[in-house]
Amino acid sequence: MKLLLAEDEKDLSRALAAVLGHSGYEVTAVYDGEAAVEAAKKNAYDVMVFDIMMPKMTGLEAVRAIRTNSDMTPVLFLTAKSEVDDRIAGLDAGADDYLTKPFAMGELLARVRSLTRRSTVYGARELRFGSVILDAEHLEMKRENSIRLANKEAHLMEYLMLNPNKYIGTDELFNHIWSDEPQTDKGIVFVYVSFLKNKLLSIDADITIDADGRGSYILTEI
Amino acid sequence: MPNDSIYGKYEAFLPLVLEELSNKIRQADAIYRIQTGDPLFEHINTRIKSEESAREKCRRKGWPETAHSALYEMKDAIGVRLVCSFLEDIFETVRAIRGFSGVRIVEEKDYIKKVKPNGYRSYHLILEIETPFEDVLGRVPGRYYAEIQLRTIAMDSWAALEHQLRYKKNISNSELIGAELKRCADELAACDVSMQTIRELIRNA
Repeated sequence: MKLLLAEDEKDLSRALAAVLGHSGYEVTAVYDGEAAVEAAKKNAYDVMVFDIMMPKMTGLEAVRAIRTNSDMTPVLFLTAKSEVDDRIAGLDAGADDYLTKPFAMGELLARVRSLTRRSTVYGARELRFGSVILDAEHLEMKRENSIRLANKEAHLMEYLMLNPNKYIGTDELFNHIWSDEPQTDKGIVFVYVSFLKNKLLSIDADITIDADGRGSYILTEI
Repeated sequence: MPNDSIYGKYEAFLPLVLEELSNKIRQADAIYRIQTGDPLFEHINTRIKSEESAREKCRRKGWPETAHSALYEMKDAIGVRLVCSFLEDIFETVRAIRGFSGVRIVEEKDYIKKVKPNGYRSYHLILEIETPFEDVLGRVPGRYYAEIQLRTIAMDSWAALEHQLRYKKNISNSELIGAELKRCADELAACDVSMQTIRELIRNA
């Protein structure tokens, strides 16, 4: 799982990255809010951990900017004990959970696990990108007309819609959508991208999935 | 002998025009088979609209029951339905028809992109065909209209079922059945797209 860590205190960042890395997360560490927003724009993460007080852009502003880009990746933010107002503002800005400093590493790991568990549970929600609406619960995608999706197609489309305008590699897509059948050939990703591309065409969508020719795919507006 | 057909003295020409159009379509299919090894369509159905249906349609549209209405206002006295195996075959066939000499497409309705609210999918063309025969406006050579409906096998069986729902009176839960039929149309459309995609994957492999 990919985790974006934004913490400006270098020593704390190093320690967190080491513990999270040891627990199996692939950690990208940035040191200010602006870099966090940039990283979230370019890559798909499963969870983000942000400090509140950071240079250039605070953790709060960063969460707000990320949510404005319709990125719903779970965010855990770290705050000092006295910052009650910050905790309220953080949750209101779109963060999912918080942890007050100082905290036990065990609790941080448990909260991160809890957040990522939530994101992998199939949500009963409607997502929209361009003029296309994905109703993941009813396995339906619609624009000019509607079309049914197979389970894995809906799951893949949901992941792409949660991470639009970013190139995402075959391995990453495979690990997210086919984690329950690891023996499957990774070529399945290309096949399902092909299914979705043609289904998007069939509903006259204003969005499409492009490939970079090296196995990465991007959901983008036409 | 007086002719009391709504098509008047032009009635005799309709099968000839239809025959000529069918021949053009079959020829296009034969050429496509030679070029690609695949057929353009799975099967072809043709019909001349019956006396009864033609009169009913004129009444429904508020046109007088005359040959002029049935051959000039009404443009589907001659009808052809082409049922294709794959989605792309529909568009290949339309491309072929576009190239017919002496045939002009005067109207085109894409109910595959702009699906009807009940889920109906099909591609409709109205053609104007040059013929050696006199037409209802007195022109020689005359022009006759024909409608071509193109759809996949899945769309065709769906339309057959929908037709039953529409013409059977007093169905209980007809609203519920209509909603299920719509869902079914979207599932069949998904199958059509998936089969088309698999065919592309096989071809490009």
